[in-house]
Amino acid sequence: MIYLSQIVNGIGLGMLYFLLAVGLSIIFGLLHFVNFAHGAFYLLGAYLCYALLQHGIDFWWAITLAGLIVAAFAALVEAGLLRRIYRLDHMYHIVATIGLALMIQEFVIIVWGPVGASVSTPPALVGVVMLGNFIYPEYRIFVVGFTAVLALVLWWLLEGTRLGAIVRAGSESSDSISLLGYDIKRINTAVFALGAGLAALAGGLATPIRGLDPFMGVEALAIAFVVVVIGGMGSFTGALIAGLLVGIVQSLMATIWPEGASLAVYIAMVVVVLVMPRGLLGRA
Amino acid sequence: MNKPLFHFALAVLVAIALPVLVPSKTLCSEVLIFAIAVAGCNLLLGYTGLLSFGQGIFFGLGSYTLGLTLLHSSLPLVVALALASIVGGLVAVVIGGLAIRRQGVYFVMLTLALAQLFYFLAYSLSGITGGDNGLLGIPRPGVGPFDLNGALAFYVFTAIVFLLIFAALQRVVVSTFGRTLLAIRDNGERAQAIGFPVRLFKIVAFAISGAVTGLAGGLHAALIGIAPLSSIDYHLSESVLIMTVIGGTGNLFGSVLGAGFYVIVSSVLSAIWPRWMLLLGALLIALTLFMQKGLWGLIEAAVSRIRDGGPRRSRSAIRPARGEKP
Repeated sequence: MIYLSQIVNGIGLGMLYFLLAVGLSIIFGLLHFVNFAHGAFYLLGAYLCYALLQHGIDFWWAITLAGLIVAAFAALVEAGLLRRIYRLDHMYHIVATIGLALMIQEFVIIVWGPVGASVSTPPALVGVVMLGNFIYPEYRIFVVGFTAVLALVLWWLLEGTRLGAIVRAGSESSDSISLLGYDIKRINTAVFALGAGLAALAGGLATPIRGLDPFMGVEALAIAFVVVVIGGMGSFTGALIAGLLVGIVQSLMATIWPEGASLAVYIAMVVVVLVMPRGLLGRA
Repeated sequence: MNKPLFHFALAVLVAIALPVLVPSKTLCSEVLIFAIAVAGCNLLLGYTGLLSFGQGIFFGLGSYTLGLTLLHSSLPLVVALALASIVGGLVAVVIGGLAIRRQGVYFVMLTLALAQLFYFLAYSLSGITGGDNGLLGIPRPGVGPFDLNGALAFYVFTAIVFLLIFAALQRVVVSTFGRTLLAIRDNGERAQAIGFPVRLFKIVAFAISGAVTGLAGGLHAALIGIAPLSSIDYHLSESVLIMTVIGGTGNLFGSVLGAGFYVIVSSVLSAIWPRWMLLLGALLIALTLFMQKGLWGLIEAAVSRIRDGGPRRSRSAIRPARGEKP
């Protein structure tokens, strides 16, 4: 029974990982740009959400605003800096975004201090739900439901709208999109902002579960990488399946061998790479 | 400007000038230890085109190997260092073999994830590694008749090891093997088509890099007397990579510059302002925008300007931009 409850926990965690990784994944799909600052956007989202809550702002508004602020910031960074370096080798993308991530991390420490904090669950979601024989916190059910709705909206955005069609076409060839008369620069900025906003949202949603600390960005970046290595870059379904897999493995291991819970995630990744070198969905 | 002997002479000059210019001999040793690790990273990044985020694995394992050897046996320091190097090299074969199954950005992400794997492994196996505390109280035996307990004595030992490794890596990069690595870096598919065993060469490059980095990790543990968990964490991999890029890729002496700059500047700045990494972040962004060839590139540009009265395209190891195939 305890395992069943951990699997439900894992689904909640996995949906957060999906949210985190899908942003990284669509940014790479369109821009062919590895964003090492993705974890820092998650970190910034978590802290902004915390700060807004501290000022008495309602949880819903706090996560929404945190996502929007980070998206706006990311749009500025993309238009002001990253756009200039797309033509360079991947190494420079990585170095520049490591630099950006360091600056965001240090900024967070300067503003909020090096010690972490815990965030209380929003009052409306404090209760517990009885699922069969075991007690289950309402907030975690909320996370699963909320991220599932978000995932559907995102799927519709990517698969069902004109913007999504442009983004998918742009992933194949950004030149042809420009030739069709679309302003690829604005689309790039929008997609980068969307990806960063999703990471920030994941950060905000994660805070009542895992608390806050200035180094959570690095951990998030590594998890996002595991998810896209397993699921494949630029794949929505891949990110979803891999995110859930990682979340469930981590939650199950937390009851079996707590010290090794994080370790198990990386071992799972190695197994997938060995057995299926192209990742679960085989697009690489 | 690009003669190996000239570069070796520069390395000797650095090894002699460092303790004269820098008051703390421990800091001097640290510079040369990181110079070794950075040169190992450069062999992969600058010469083979493999951006490895997993150099901390080899460094950390080198530290733990040396610590465990010296804590649990009375083997000499040189043997312990050799073991650190062997462990680093062997694990690098496994890591390299696994990571090169995926290419490009997947490779980078995989090395980072593997670095996290080894970090959590070291953290979980606290019975062996000391977990969060690390391995404490590692002795520093002498070498033959020489006692290494003084900071200067250990620096001299470190400097000798550094120069040996530097010369050995120079031999590697000018050898046929090293030239083939450059061919792989510039166009892996072409090298494969010509008939070079690209995967094998990449794994050998990993092995050499891992052995060199493991040795550096071992030296570091001997220097500070502990093998901390931080010697295998994300931050270490990141710092080594940053030093490599700051110094300039594809040039071994650039690695010495990168390590010297990073270690000394971070030591000075962190004493003044704990949040100095904010400046480091800004420096990295400036580097990608304005000085892509790193410190060595700056020096080359300055020298050729003096010599020819004008800027000249250098033979430095910048890969062509995306879109313009060589």
